[in-house]
Amino acid sequence: MKEVELDCLGEACPIPLVKAENKIKELEIGDVLIVQIDHSCAMKNLPEWARKEGHNVEIEEIDDGEWEIIIEKVK
Amino acid sequence: MDIKKNKYYKLWIKDAWPYITGAVLLSLFQIITLATTGNPWGVSGILANWGAWLYETAGGSVDKWYYFSSEGARRTLENGFMNHGGSLRNLGIIIGALAATLLSSGFKFKKIKSWKQIIAATLGGLLMGYGARIGFGCNIGALFSGIASLSLSGWVYALFLFLGAIIGSKLLVKYFM
Repeated sequence: MKEVELDCLGEACPIPLVKAENKIKELEIGDVLIVQIDHSCAMKNLPEWARKEGHNVEIEEIDDGEWEIIIEKVK
Repeated sequence: MDIKKNKYYKLWIKDAWPYITGAVLLSLFQIITLATTGNPWGVSGILANWGAWLYETAGGSVDKWYYFSSEGARRTLENGFMNHGGSLRNLGIIIGALAATLLSSGFKFKKIKSWKQIIAATLGGLLMGYGARIGFGCNIGALFSGIASLSLSGWVYALFLFLGAIIGSKLLVKYFM
């Protein structure tokens, strides 16, 4: 079980989503992907996509306009 | 009591509204806009006026430009920013968006990551601006207001908007990621 950080700060949609989609393919079940974002649209579409895929998702507010989307790969 | 823990602050100010709420509000306000001003809602055509005013402020002249040659366009430019309803509405959109971001503590100056990002943004902006003028409207004036007015052109616009978005996404992933 490992934790991987994906720096998407300064990236606008749809780049954070595409990067997360590519990254999670490289991970094993049980691994955690932490996507760092500062684009509010990504705060909506990233969790939406991850939940639809069946992963566990948590959103953490790091600072003003900065969030971490924590995705645990479950399948 | 800490406002950050207030239920209604979270529901109305902090968290993003559902798409459906946004859709209903946009529809309502575009109906009000059309009913009160007699013109459908538009955004990008107004930016062309802003460009003309900027150009004139810098000493240029658009007198000979075909785009601004109609009587109405000339009058709008002569009356200036503060007498142009559409300009004030665009200004309102900018102020409203800023206020929403500030109130939800979501404001942040974002870093520019690379030269690629600057090139992509500049190219994208130029293409969108050029396309919106040559197509007589953007996704608001031509698509949203077009479809809302039961105009076929809005649906044609939608079809090609999707095609363009698909091509644009492929190019984005290929060259800018």
